[in-house]
Amino acid sequence: MKSSTLAKKIGFYAMIIIVWQGLDSADIWPDNIFPSPIDVVEDLAYGVADASLFYGIGTSLLRLSIGLSIAIAGGLVLGIFMARVETVNQTIGSLVLGLQSIPSIAWVPLAILWFGLTDSGIIFVTAIGAIFAVTINTYTGVKNINPSYIEAARNMGAKEGQLITSILIPAAFPFIISGFKQGWAFAWRGVIGAELLFSFLGLGFLLNVGRQLNDVSQVIAIMIVIMGIGILVDGVVFKKIEDKVMTRWGLR
Amino acid sequence: MGKLESRNIEKYFTHDGKPLKTLDGINVNVEDGEFVCIVGPSGCGKSTFLRITAGLEKPDDGEILLDNQPVNNTGPDRIMVFQEGALFPWLNVRDNVEYGLKIAGVSQEKRNEISNRYLDMMQLTQFATSYTYQLSTGMKQRVAIARALVMEPDVLLMDEPFAALDPQTRDLLLVEMQLIWQKTKKTIVFVTHNVAEAVMLGTRVLVFTHRPARIKKEIKIDYRRPRVAEDENLLKYQKKILAELRPEVKK
Repeated sequence: MKSSTLAKKIGFYAMIIIVWQGLDSADIWPDNIFPSPIDVVEDLAYGVADASLFYGIGTSLLRLSIGLSIAIAGGLVLGIFMARVETVNQTIGSLVLGLQSIPSIAWVPLAILWFGLTDSGIIFVTAIGAIFAVTINTYTGVKNINPSYIEAARNMGAKEGQLITSILIPAAFPFIISGFKQGWAFAWRGVIGAELLFSFLGLGFLLNVGRQLNDVSQVIAIMIVIMGIGILVDGVVFKKIEDKVMTRWGLR
Repeated sequence: MGKLESRNIEKYFTHDGKPLKTLDGINVNVEDGEFVCIVGPSGCGKSTFLRITAGLEKPDDGEILLDNQPVNNTGPDRIMVFQEGALFPWLNVRDNVEYGLKIAGVSQEKRNEISNRYLDMMQLTQFATSYTYQLSTGMKQRVAIARALVMEPDVLLMDEPFAALDPQTRDLLLVEMQLIWQKTKKTIVFVTHNVAEAVMLGTRVLVFTHRPARIKKEIKIDYRRPRVAEDENLLKYQKKILAELRPEVKK
């Protein structure tokens, strides 16, 4: 990042905090509705000190990674299958588009009925929220592969199975990585949402505890953590991968 | 009976819902070690013929024989070099070149040994770990040729591989291609719309007619090698071919 960009960012966030502190000092709203930045930082420090925050983050991220892994594996298989077999696309493909329009949180009642108030239920919501984004992007990616890659590979003797692993997935990877990124975003929303409704651990649960205890600063602290993880994964992890892929695949 | 034989190949495409005859009974007999160039007006079906030979498309009639055996599918015995190279951008130069060996289950050690030989032949050794986005168009085509040679095919099929190159790079590769052919003694079928290119490379040039394509004329080119672009003696061959080709292009 250029230093001028960094300076702008720091300035912007500093301004938010100053305005926030100013609004708090103006005493327009009571402290139990509108906490000061210091209250929130104290709350975060408290969470760090007794490690409850790390435990919450760890739990949410563990559920997320299991759910997302399932979504990625399933989405890749489904997407490739749809792209390669027209009948599958015409049948399952239309269903996938429909299912994609269901918000992950709407799967929660079904998850509770099927899995009870368990981790499996949360993982189910996370996975199902992410799988269709991975599927659709994989499908689009495989459909958009330069046909001469496939012809060249066939020509050199690649069988269908070899074609999938050595050509289809790598050739479609710029799309697939967008699928992972979208999938992650859906999974992250899904896991927090599900935890909020029926979990005893995780960031979503901590949010809910904050609400029950009328602890606004905890609610805001956890929201900041959720956002921070989002920025970290999107802006650092995925950005790095995307940059590398785009360059190597000659897309920029 | 030659190495590669096409018997009465016919091909139709659908155009505005009507069948459009593209190849009208193509009979070609390519001897072992020959370098056959096919020229024709653009859109005449010469690339289609090459793709049928490679097994990438099916003819509507006729057959392709390799060593007197009919072939219906793609196979590593007939390797195609595509116009745009079709290199895999996610692999570096060496892995691109070794791709066919890898999927055939050749051991890493053996793969390296073979690819080293062809990387060297194509003067790519120092680019072995480069990715395609780091290569010029000419370099990419060198990689594409190396990738094809590594397969040690019976027949090398080349579909306008130098069409996108600048003239200097092309002239260089045209000379090198002759040396490679002399060194490897490969049977090559080379499609181009560039008459000068055909004359430089071919032992024989086939002129295709406008669609539906037939073989209009066959011109043997008995001339010493390596032939260079500025050799005026090659002009008379070019003139001969152009005389056949010009009326077809105007159609």
